[in-house]
Amino acid sequence: MSYSVARGKLAEGVLERIPVRRRHALAGYMFIAPALVFLFVFALLPFLFTIYVSLHDWNMLTPIPTMPFVGLSNYTYLITQDPLFWQTFVNTVEFALGDVVISTSLGLAVALLLNTRVRLRGLWRAVYFMPYVTSSIAISIVWANIYNPSYGLLDGVFQLLNLPSQPFLSSPGQALISVIIVSVWHGLGYYMVIFLAGLQNIPAELYEAAKVDGAGAWHRFRFVTVPGLRPTLLFVVVVSTLSSLQVFDLTYVLTNGGPVNATNTLVLYMYNTAFNFLKMGRATAMAVLLFIVIFGMTLVQLRLLRERE
Amino acid sequence: MPMSWEISERKLTRRELIRRAGVLAGGVSLSGLLAACGGGTGGGSSYTKPSGTKHTGKAAPGKKPTPQTSILGAKSSSVKLTVLTHWAGQEYVKALTQLFDACGKKLNVQIVSQTVPFDQLLVRITTGQLGGVTPDIYHIYNLWLPDLTTSGVIAAPPSSVVSDIKSAYGKSTVDAVSYNGKVWGYATELDLYQLQYNRKLLEQAGVKNPPVTWDELKATAKKLTKKNAKGKVTQAGFQLIRGWDSGVVHPFTCLLWSNGGQYVSQDNKKALFNQQPGVETLDLQMDMIGDGSGFISDPNNFTSDFTSGRVAMTIMANWWGPNLKAGLPGGLGDAGVAPIPYTPGNTSTALQYNWLWSVSQNTQHAKEAWDLLQCMNSPESKGKLSPMGTFLTTALNAIPSRESDQAYVMGHPGPLVAYLKPFIAALKHSRTEPIVPGDQEIKTDLQKQIEAAWYKQKSPKAALDAAASQADQILSQKSS
Repeated sequence: MSYSVARGKLAEGVLERIPVRRRHALAGYMFIAPALVFLFVFALLPFLFTIYVSLHDWNMLTPIPTMPFVGLSNYTYLITQDPLFWQTFVNTVEFALGDVVISTSLGLAVALLLNTRVRLRGLWRAVYFMPYVTSSIAISIVWANIYNPSYGLLDGVFQLLNLPSQPFLSSPGQALISVIIVSVWHGLGYYMVIFLAGLQNIPAELYEAAKVDGAGAWHRFRFVTVPGLRPTLLFVVVVSTLSSLQVFDLTYVLTNGGPVNATNTLVLYMYNTAFNFLKMGRATAMAVLLFIVIFGMTLVQLRLLRERE
Repeated sequence: MPMSWEISERKLTRRELIRRAGVLAGGVSLSGLLAACGGGTGGGSSYTKPSGTKHTGKAAPGKKPTPQTSILGAKSSSVKLTVLTHWAGQEYVKALTQLFDACGKKLNVQIVSQTVPFDQLLVRITTGQLGGVTPDIYHIYNLWLPDLTTSGVIAAPPSSVVSDIKSAYGKSTVDAVSYNGKVWGYATELDLYQLQYNRKLLEQAGVKNPPVTWDELKATAKKLTKKNAKGKVTQAGFQLIRGWDSGVVHPFTCLLWSNGGQYVSQDNKKALFNQQPGVETLDLQMDMIGDGSGFISDPNNFTSDFTSGRVAMTIMANWWGPNLKAGLPGGLGDAGVAPIPYTPGNTSTALQYNWLWSVSQNTQHAKEAWDLLQCMNSPESKGKLSPMGTFLTTALNAIPSRESDQAYVMGHPGPLVAYLKPFIAALKHSRTEPIVPGDQEIKTDLQKQIEAAWYKQKSPKAALDAAASQADQILSQKSS
């Protein structure tokens, strides 16, 4: 008997002594081990380090072991003494609300439209999806020019219609809604595709049965489409809320948080606090607070929207 | 079957629900922070941008500067010096090659030149410190001196270098590279603010001379303002720039100083910009905004607003020259430069800021590093430009910091030199941007508060008081 065969037999013997259920579990853990290691190194460790740094005062220039421990003072400062933190929090929530509500409603509306036998359906789907595959930085630069109050495309349209010029991104009152419009335009195609997939999974027989029962278009939508789309809706709302709460690129390029902090969002403020003001402790405290908010909101959304059995 | 359906088909237990939400939210929250940690894209950041970046690191469309490394000097030498700069455009890299090559060969040192765009420079410095991979020589913005010196990132120069700097550079420039009473390196690019105006628009309005006092500034701005039949301003007399800390705070500080005011107390413990001279400065801007002669430009369009004739005057730094040369119909011939307008009993005072070469505290070759810097910043013979002066005037069109280089520029005619001359002349009455711990944050907050006044969300006094209160808090944290 060769050495390798003997070794194989020995291994088999050892394995045989382990109960089948445990053996299956072990195999499962072996399969997911690479993913677990990846998750640990790139998600859990940074997360724990984020919490650790948030309890310190650190400018990233001094060695990590020498950073002074400050307890919860970064958190208490943000919550009790930093009005800008609250302003950016409110801006972020307003942005998320506007973006999620409009993106979800419009995405569903466009998906419903393109789920019918409309001419050039494939072309329309591609057209709506195109902004999503374009870089958000490029989109922001183009939209900054569209919004330009002096020579922007929108200003030209307004002049043609004899309407007064609008400042858009230059106005504290209009800047946030202007950014929301860009965000909706950017993400609409993605949500449309998700809704289309959801719509195509609703069995046609349900619509036929509803028709036979005399249900009109509205009732078919209300009692067949909406319940059938509930899981899709859950997915879209959760995903769009998560991405909206972390908006960074659009506000960074379009407005840089201005004017007068009107579009300054939490992640943008976090970035500036960390890399411009060199206050990594405070920035990581913001990250932890944002995590708590997102965690809470996700829980609520899952609870409210999950299918009741 | 799509993922969304899978969610619906399984009843989630409470524990599973919390676990899923936790993993999802945690992952996404971290990815947000990491995305932010990834640094800027160079797509138009204006937060930390000192005014020099338009020609020193900002990407032109389709010509984005990318981090680069090249090996120069005496390539076979055992002494290797790594130099980190923010001059990342191709044209700058080419000019840097000549700058480093000559002195590197002369001193028999190998030079590894690393360049990153300006908006990634501080991130590169901090991540380098964290990773323990630091360059030997840094090129830094002087506003970063408090953080970089107190954290032990850069080293103080030897006394011979300090003597060289003190004897060859003007007082305001020596102040600009000093912190806590110590000189920290060789000043390079110097930028200074002055009143800049469109000569043609002033001529068309019958204005023979640019304004000298605040009253003249207001009157001239009004005279230069044009409105159409609907009352819409088609040409504004004076330009203010929003959304960019230096673009807002530097001109404000020039006017504040020219009105006898102060930015912070001498001991760096209290903000003073909210006192009467500061409120009067903001009132001046508000008066111009109020009568339509003051126009608030978008940070991405302030140059085109000026070159297209939408605005006639502004307060801006000398690095703007090449932009004006390219944009104004008559090139730099259309660009006028005059001292900052002042109030009776006070002096026109300009703000200057600098970049400087400094040596890392971690370098194994401190002597060679300072020798290299001394070589690059010393003219070969009297009456000649230093290698750094050549680089600054030819590649960057900037004002060199060394006085002998400035004298050389003044003695050599040309359109750009004609444009730069008033700036160099104004150095006599200039002051360095206050180098205060935490000033980046103070400056950003002041910018936001000034803008709040411009947009009538706060009175000038309330806005400046809010900024001063925040500044005092930052100063007290930094001093404790």
